[in-house]
Amino acid sequence: MPTKVKEIMNTKLETIRPEATVYEAIEKLIDKRIRSLLVLPKDEKDTYGVVTVRDIVYKVIAKNLNPQKIKVEEISSKPVISIDKETELEHLIRLMEKFNIARVFIHNGREIVGVVALLDVLAASLIERARRG
Amino acid sequence: MLEKIFSGGKLEKKVIENIKNHIKTLCLAAECFKNAIITGNKEQIYCVIDLERDADSIRREIISMIYEGAFLPFLRPSICRFIEIVDEAFDTVEDAAFEFRYLNFEVYKTIESECIKIASVNSNMCELLLIAFESLLTKGDLREKNLAIRIYEKQVDDIKFEITEKLRKAEITNFWDGKIISDFVSYLTKVSDLIEDASDYLYTIEVSLR
Repeated sequence: MPTKVKEIMNTKLETIRPEATVYEAIEKLIDKRIRSLLVLPKDEKDTYGVVTVRDIVYKVIAKNLNPQKIKVEEISSKPVISIDKETELEHLIRLMEKFNIARVFIHNGREIVGVVALLDVLAASLIERARRG
Repeated sequence: MLEKIFSGGKLEKKVIENIKNHIKTLCLAAECFKNAIITGNKEQIYCVIDLERDADSIRREIISMIYEGAFLPFLRPSICRFIEIVDEAFDTVEDAAFEFRYLNFEVYKTIESECIKIASVNSNMCELLLIAFESLLTKGDLREKNLAIRIYEKQVDDIKFEITEKLRKAEITNFWDGKIISDFVSYLTKVSDLIEDASDYLYTIEVSLR
């Protein structure tokens, strides 16, 4: 049976409010030793976003802007690229390759329930290969 | 690979079959343990103890057959050590099962999902160990299996870190509640270490046979 993304996704999602400052995001990223944060929707009509270390470095630090004065929503990407939790691993890899992205969020209905990073994909592929005998 | 070297001696074939059974029994115990902690049923955990007894008798049989003269002398210590590591993994699953019966469920609830994840990874690792052993016999790619086992072990390490973080924040007022949950987590996370050791040992055996 092919591996599904729900089997390998990381369900520990670190989130941040869109109106939080970039500085708060940096604190969270450093404390948790992660590379991206899920930006929560502002209201029911809004969608999820994502802010990554790359966004912060290129859009704030490189431009000598003050991270305490810039809001997360100003630099985050929206909407996030997400796929259904029942999607097969092979499809996920194609998606990552097509959009050149390192992590994909996983949704169940409208709710984001997990995230899969490139390293998770690598690990899952190697395990699948070993299991084939 | 092994089968070629041992030229298909009767005793050797029997030992190999018994080693497979030993690992299969470990897989059953890990699976049974996982199911018991998923359902939270303390009674269900007794299957681990029964399986451990079965495994003990298989181990004794293997060791005595090796003493009777199965395998070339230079291989005997390595094979015995491999069996002992698998047996240690078995004992550790049994220890975790024993502690599970005495857990304070109020404290345990805070780390339940992480423990279930570890039990599930442990069960997958046992299956991979069996695949790895079979590939030693059929000249499969043991290195690949060894890597997959190491990936699983790393996953357990990461989850263990999360558990420790949570437990540090938990308010535990009774000494025994604290000791039991701490021992339970130690045993639960040690299983993957031992399976990794066993897999490394298989790899060493394979390298020594080249």
